[in-house]
This record gives sequence, structure tokens and C-alpha cells, in this order.
Amino acid sequence: MSAKHRLAAASLTALVIAAISHSAMAQSTTSLVAATSDGTELNVTIPVFDPGIPDDPSVYRDMQVFPRIREIEAKLMPFLLRETLVESQQWGAVRVAIEPDTAAELQLFGTIVRSDGEWLDLRIRAVDAAGTAWFDKVFSSQANEEPGVGEGDTGTPEFQAIYTEIAAELAAFRDRMGNAAISNIKGTSLILYASELAPTAFSGYIEESEDGTLRLLRLPAREDPMLVRIETIRNTEFLITDTVDAKFREFNADLARTYRVWREYRRKIGGYEAWNVRFAEDKPDDSPRGSWESIKHLYDAYKYDRVTVQEQDRLAVAFNTEVTATVEAMETRVAELNDWVEQGSLEWNYLLEELYELETSMLEQGNP
Amino acid sequence: MLAALLGLAGCAHEEPILIEDTKYFEGEMPADFSGFWARDYARSDNINTVLQNAAYEIGKRSGRVGPAGPMASERDMSRFMPLARLVELITRTDELTISQSEHEILVERRDDFSLMCAFFDGVAKPTDSPFGKETCGWDGDRLISLHELPDGLRVIHRFQISENRQQLRVITTATSNTAPMPFTISHYYWRIQKAPGKFECIETLSMKRVCSTGELEILR
Repeated sequence: MSAKHRLAAASLTALVIAAISHSAMAQSTTSLVAATSDGTELNVTIPVFDPGIPDDPSVYRDMQVFPRIREIEAKLMPFLLRETLVESQQWGAVRVAIEPDTAAELQLFGTIVRSDGEWLDLRIRAVDAAGTAWFDKVFSSQANEEPGVGEGDTGTPEFQAIYTEIAAELAAFRDRMGNAAISNIKGTSLILYASELAPTAFSGYIEESEDGTLRLLRLPAREDPMLVRIETIRNTEFLITDTVDAKFREFNADLARTYRVWREYRRKIGGYEAWNVRFAEDKPDDSPRGSWESIKHLYDAYKYDRVTVQEQDRLAVAFNTEVTATVEAMETRVAELNDWVEQGSLEWNYLLEELYELETSMLEQGNP
Repeated sequence: MLAALLGLAGCAHEEPILIEDTKYFEGEMPADFSGFWARDYARSDNINTVLQNAAYEIGKRSGRVGPAGPMASERDMSRFMPLARLVELITRTDELTISQSEHEILVERRDDFSLMCAFFDGVAKPTDSPFGKETCGWDGDRLISLHELPDGLRVIHRFQISENRQQLRVITTATSNTAPMPFTISHYYWRIQKAPGKFECIETLSMKRVCSTGELEILR
């Protein structure tokens, strides 16, 4: 091994050790999950949902969209889906991520279509590493009866049905696939990840089909030194992701109670809105058009509607005031971790390419 | 002061129609109404005087003349009084709190809903519901808030601030398809200064209103 080679290898090791130390300092409670292509359980990545905020701010009020709260929901809901998938025990590691992972074995992209306290509509698109879209559909759920006292701090159990339905849809699709297809997805995922870090070494292992999906042509040998390094790095990166994931867990625990109060208020507001409609329809029978009773009734119906809307605005502001510190702390910490991974990836990419070059040239020198 | 008062005079009986052009403005909002305002009863319209004038006007329009001059018929008055009662009811508030940002004007009224005018890129954004529609606009430096309710009932508030920004005039008009003419009343408000309280308060969701004598920060 040349001095340059050793130096590169040492740097890589140092980076990996630093990564693990960094994660340990983050006090992650999650364990390391192997990145190998063994097994039949697919790892699932759930990027933070698209909050579904319209581009035109002038329609926020009409659509009852509170942008800041939607952004928070977009971080909370993936975590609730994650918990459901983990509890189903049908999947490998299930992670919530800030950004989509192009090499994820199975990725769930979510968009909040409607979230008004009474109804939750989520559009979920499930895509595997080979590029096959499992489904792309809107799941809808109405809040069920209020849970009992003591359950209030665990998130939003009123909408558990929607996460259970998504999990069932995923499991049904997965059950229709053979083990060979699962292995293909896992292998494709690994090679995709490897080719991002060391494109020179791992080009030619997969090809793109006419329909845009990827097909795994072959896999490198298990003892391939470059693949071993890649797997070490991937596992390290998973540790960081798990640390981010743990931050989401804390975030959920911190915000669950406040979010739950907000959701209850939204539900009450829905009740007021229904009352307003009934009031407007319940015109005094004996009041002719233009009479004081008739005019007063029209104005009161309008007034109650405006008061309801404005009360909801006030509650949204109160919610933001209460959670801002938590959200900012969480966003800062996750951004730090993300930056660290991005910086590390650049260095890993450089070092691996250099190692591959060195190893290839050594092989060429040894086998003229 | 006199100039300021004159500047506010003379628009009580203008036709209160919000035309399309008034929904737009370019650059900054044409006027800043923000502050606390208290009713100036001395200058504000007396409802009985306005009613008497209206009865005279209705009589004049219908050509009905009594011993003391033009006088509205009982039928006309019975169709007109509901509008007058409505305006009297919705202008009872004696204090206004107006906050104004780059895009929004919020007029808080005691015992009533707040008037809310939102502008996006200078264009007024109406709030619409089956119960009514609120549209805002500008007539020069006067803010117009139009409320269109079912059955042709309309309420218009016009806000105008004096040059020295110490007085506010609010002209409220109600019209309906059944009344013989609109009913308009004009109220004046003085700017008042509210001393900052000893407590700093914020609204939270789960803890309601939280107040402190020091700087407030929600910690987790």
C-alpha cells in the first residue's frame, strides 16, 4: 500500500469514526441498521411531506391553510406514518428524512391535501429504488371520536386510520412481489448509493429500461473492498439519519400536546361553522323581506361567520407563538446534521474515487 | 386643526359604490390608519337628526308634503327604519383599534367582528362566504370596506384620516333593495395614546394568555 493510499484510507477511517462519535454525541437511541442487500425486509425512507401550501397567498384564507402550521404538520405526519410502519413489523428500518434519498430502497412521498381538524387527506406516492411506482393515491380520513384522557400526548390518534390504511396498502403491494423482486430493489438501492459516491467504480451495474425503471445487471462480489467501504459509509450515514430521526421523535413529543389542542380547536371551529349554517338557514318565519328581523338575521349570520374565521386566525397565531422555539431549535439541529452529512459526502466521494484510481492502477501494474 | 377638520368634511351622502378601480393601489398603502381611536361624540352625527333629515329627503323624493314640509309616508319609513336600526347597531362601538401592515389593515371593534382588508400586490383580496362578501378598496386616500350580504343588503364603511393624523372619520352606509334610500351616518374619532401596560402578554394555545413583567419567551 502506497503512502498516498494509506493516507486516503486513514482519512476515510477517521471520517467514519468522526461520524460515529458525532452521532453518539447526539445521543441517538436508535441502533445501527445494516445497509447490505441481504434479507427480504425493505428499508423505507419517508422524506418530510410537501405541506401543500398554495403558491398564491391570497387563497390561504379561503382554503383554510395556515402555512406555518402546515409546515409543522409536514414534519409531524411522516413520523406518525413511520411509527405505524415500524409497529407493523413488516419493514426494515423506517426513517424520516429531511430530503428525498435517491438511493432509498422504498420511498414514500407525501403531500398534505387537506388538514382541517375534522378531515385529513394525504396524497402518498410510493416508489422503490428501481423506479417502480407502487401507488400514487389520496388517502382520506375523518377524525374518529376523541381518545380518552392520557392518550392526548401521543400525537393525533384520531387520524390513526389513515396511517394504518397506507401501511396496509404498502404491505399488500409488497406481498404481491416475489423475493427476487425485493432482492433486485435492495441491490439496485445499494448500487445507486455506491455509484453516487464512486461513479467510476460502480458504473455498468445497472441499466435503465425503456419505461424509465432501473434493472440490476449484476452485483459486485461481497468481499469487494470498495463495496465494503461503501457499506461502512452508508451505515455511518444511516446513523446520522437515525439521529435526525430521533430529533423528529423529540419534536413530535414536544409538539404533540400543543398540536392536539390546535386540532381540537379546529374541530370546534368546524362545529361553530356548522352552527352558523344552521343559524343562517333558520330564518324567522314571520319576518317579511326587508323587515328589521330579517335584516338583523342576515347581519348576525354574517357576523358569526366573520367572528368564527377571525377566531381561527387568532388561534393559529397563538399556536405559532407557542411552538416557534421548539420548531426553530429542531430545524437548526437537523440543518446542522444535514450540513455535516453533505460535507462528509463530498469528502467521501473524493476519497473513494481516489482510492479506486489507486487500486486500479496497482492492479494494472501487478497484471500487465 | 381647523384645516384638518375641514379636510374631513363633506362626504356623508356620497354614492357608496366600490368600483373596480378602487380595489388597486401601487406602492405603499395610500394612508396609515394604525392606532387607537376613541369616539368624538361632539362631532359625530346624532342618529335622530340623521333620521329626521332622511324622512324629509324621502318625502321630497316621493312628493309627499305634510304641514311642516316634505315628510316620508309611514310605509316608506317602515321600510327605511330597519336600515337605520342596523346602522345604529353596528356603529355603537366607541373605540377602534387599527393595526396596519404592508398587506393588511385590521379594524378591531368592541362587540363586533373586525374589519379586515388584505391586499396582495396592491390588489384587494375579498373574503367570500355564503353569508356575505367583504371587499376593500381605496378611493384616493380613503379606505372603503364593502360588505355584501344576501337579499341585496350592503354595508359600506369609509375611513378617512385627517392630515395631522389625529382624527379619523368613519362614514357608514347601509343600503337594501327594499328601503327607499340608503342610510348614512358619520362618526369622528380622536387618536388616543394607550400607555404601555406593566405586563407583557402573549397568546398561546394551551396556556391561553401568558403575561410577565419581564421579556416573555416560551421555552421548552
